[in-house]
Amino acid sequence: MKTYIIIPAFNESSRIAAVLESLLSLNYSMIVIDDGSADDTAKIAATFPVILIRHELNLGQGAALETGMEAARQLEADYVVHFDSDGQHVASDIEHLLAPLQKDEADIVFGSRFLEKKPSGLTFSRKIILKAGRWINYLITGILLSDAHNGLRALNNKALHAVHFRQPGMAHASEILYEVRRKSLRYLELPVHILYTDYSKQKGQGILNSVNILFHLLFKR
Amino acid sequence: MTKFQVVGIASLLFILISYLRKFRRPAIDKIFIGLILAMGIFFVLYPEVTNQLAHFLGIGRGADMIFYLAILGFGYLALVLYSKIKKLEDQLTKIIRKQSLESIDLNEKNA
Repeated sequence: MKTYIIIPAFNESSRIAAVLESLLSLNYSMIVIDDGSADDTAKIAATFPVILIRHELNLGQGAALETGMEAARQLEADYVVHFDSDGQHVASDIEHLLAPLQKDEADIVFGSRFLEKKPSGLTFSRKIILKAGRWINYLITGILLSDAHNGLRALNNKALHAVHFRQPGMAHASEILYEVRRKSLRYLELPVHILYTDYSKQKGQGILNSVNILFHLLFKR
Repeated sequence: MTKFQVVGIASLLFILISYLRKFRRPAIDKIFIGLILAMGIFFVLYPEVTNQLAHFLGIGRGADMIFYLAILGFGYLALVLYSKIKKLEDQLTKIIRKQSLESIDLNEKNA
C-alpha cells in the first residue's frame, strides 16, 4: 500500500526542516510542493528524501495541494495525507487518520481540533471564526464538521480521484466538503492535535480572510 | 456645436476606433460597442432627447439617466473583467501545474 504525505509549502524555510524531520520516522513517501517560495524552502526540502515539486509562481495552498494530489494520482497512491508545512500538525496523528481508511470504513478522514482533545493556545477570536465557519460550511455544503478549516486530512484512492481543488486559495477546505457530498464519499472526523505557536498563528489565516473564503464559496460558479 | 460636443464626440470616436483596431473581438461585440458609442454621440449632439427619454422611464433629468446607465455599465464591465481574470488565473494554474509535474520524473523518483 502506497501512502504519500502531501506537504504544500510557501516561504516556510524556518519550519520545513523540523516538519519533514518529524515525518521521516513514519516511513511514508513525501511530496513537497514548493508554491513559488521566495526563500530557501525548496533548497531545504531537497536535502530530505522527498519528491519535490516546484511551482514557478505562487498559486495558493489549494492549487499546491491539487498539484500534490495530481502527482499522487500519477504515482498510483493508495492513500494520501494532507499535512501543513508550518509545524501546526503532529506527525503521530497521521496513523490514526489512516486507520479507518485501511479498514475501509471511510473514504476521507478529517482531522478536528475540537473533538476530545482541548486545543491549546487558541485565541477567542479564532474560536469564534472557526465556529462560524463550521456553520457556513454546513449551510453551503450540507456537511457539518466540528472543525471547519483543518489542514490535516487523509484520503483513500477513491477520494483522491473524486476530489479536485479548483479554488487556488484557502477556500479549498470548504470546497472539499462540496466534493465529498457530491460524490457521496464516506467521511469521518477524528481528533488531532494542533500546535498553536506565534509562528503558525501569524502564518495562519487572519480573521479578515475568512470573509474572503466566504465570498469565494458563495460566488464560486 | 458647443465646446463640449466637440470634445465629447472626439473622445467617443477615439474610443470606438481604438477598440475596433486593437481588440480582436467577435463581430457581435463590435456591433454592440458600436451601437452604444453611436448612441453616446447622438446624445451629445441632441442632449434634450435624453430628457424626454428620462421622463419616459420615470427619471427626473436626462443627465441622471446617463449617470445611472453608466453605473450599470461599469458594474457589468467589472463582472466581465472579473470573469476574464478568473479564467486567466485558472489557465495559469493549469500551466504551472503541468510544467511543475513535467519537470520531475515521477516514475524514476518512485523507484
